Amino acid sequence: MGNRATSIRALIATWFILAVAGDIGLALAPMPPGQASNAASDESFVIKLLAVIAWPVFSAVLAGLFFTLVINHRTPPQGEVSSAELRGNPRVQTIWIASTLVIVLSLAVYGTIALAQDQPGGGISTVSAPLANPTSTDQPLEVQVIAQQWWFTYRYPSYGGIETAQLVLPVNQKIQFHVTSLDVTHAFWFYALGVKADAVPLNDNVFTVTPTQIGTFRVQCGELCGLWHGNMADNTAMVVSPSDFAAWIQQQTALDAPVMKFLPPYSHTYVPSPPIYAG
Amino acid sequence: MRLRFWVLVAGVVVAGLVVGFFVTRFLNPTPPQIAATTTSTSLQGRPVVNLTLSTVAAVGSEGQGQGQHPNWVGYLPTTYLKVPAGAVVRMTIDQQDTSSGLRNPYFALVRGTVNNEMTVNGKVIQAIDPNNPGPGHSFTIPDLGVNVPLEGVSATAPAGAQNVVVFEFVVPDTPGLFRWQCFVPCGAGTLYGNGGPMQTLGYMAGELQVG
Repeated sequence: MGNRATSIRALIATWFILAVAGDIGLALAPMPPGQASNAASDESFVIKLLAVIAWPVFSAVLAGLFFTLVINHRTPPQGEVSSAELRGNPRVQTIWIASTLVIVLSLAVYGTIALAQDQPGGGISTVSAPLANPTSTDQPLEVQVIAQQWWFTYRYPSYGGIETAQLVLPVNQKIQFHVTSLDVTHAFWFYALGVKADAVPLNDNVFTVTPTQIGTFRVQCGELCGLWHGNMADNTAMVVSPSDFAAWIQQQTALDAPVMKFLPPYSHTYVPSPPIYAG
Repeated sequence: MRLRFWVLVAGVVVAGLVVGFFVTRFLNPTPPQIAATTTSTSLQGRPVVNLTLSTVAAVGSEGQGQGQHPNWVGYLPTTYLKVPAGAVVRMTIDQQDTSSGLRNPYFALVRGTVNNEMTVNGKVIQAIDPNNPGPGHSFTIPDLGVNVPLEGVSATAPAGAQNVVVFEFVVPDTPGLFRWQCFVPCGAGTLYGNGGPMQTLGYMAGELQVG
């Protein structure tokens, strides 16, 4: 009995040390996708929360396996052909079921509250005109993401509808992305901002995010879309200061000025016109 | 017994080599490239090299497909191109095909070339009207930001009519492999015009090897 009590105390001590050390490491470690936007920060926090809660449970499994298979391992006596009868341990089972039940239900409550408090703006757009040019960082800047096999282009409706093949955003400005496709289903995946939205023909998929870090990021297609799907990506998406954004917009506006007459008027979705393909 | 084991190992190795050779040589053949021809001129302090392509409504027995899809639209003589790093590529395209519908009018704009311009039959322009008559094809290298719409010839033009499109673009100083493609959905008879030759290297898609 003395040995058994010692083993249990050692098991609990091992589990505790493993759980605390691991949780400290997880709490300090950077979690994906990072801190480049409010959405990314939220996702990063949720991943960290889940990891910190799950690690002690996993540690208990590891510690139990370690003690069972290594420390308390014994060679069966000569002639023994079957193990001793195993009986359940109601106290251990109760603790295990109760603790995991509390964890899962708590996370369900947390997730439900977080979902209810999620920012409005996701879903299908119902407005018929482009958003006005924002006068504050709380007002969203509308950016249309147009997917086609195999390149994303971006329209800035509040800046006259200029279109570019490079995505540039001002930092700390709420951005309202409107994602659509001109052919097959794509997905606009801006990993660093923690956002991914399907680009579906004749659909305007809307989501809001606020970039919070200046930098150059990767944008890619997240939906298998044909021959060059793997190349439908670029590493030149930029989040810049408001003054740099203003200068970039001015430059693009000047560049597009002679050819603006060829770009289409604002619409939620775009139907290729004339509707003929191939000749 | 030991001899039988080693014979078996040798047999497996030989079989593996045969399968690997078949896969690399026949299922994934190294495509023939055309290399840019050098010139004695320079632009922006960089050497200028020339490349010439043409677009046709049906490749026949020519081109990368070697007659596999004679009715497919395509670039000739191939879509595998090679240019030296850091060069200015002066591209001449003989556009012999008619217009097709353009999915996104953005691709009627000239982007990423020197001065964002091209010349069409000697006339310098920055864009073409996407609908009148509209491009038949485009020469687009997304990773280099290059897009050049190739205005289609009139459907009533006599046989042999073509628009000669000339433009220059700068390639990176470091070697790399860049995909390029046509952004006009010109794959007749396929879903949204984007199947067949649009999805097949050697017709309306290719690779630009730099360096």
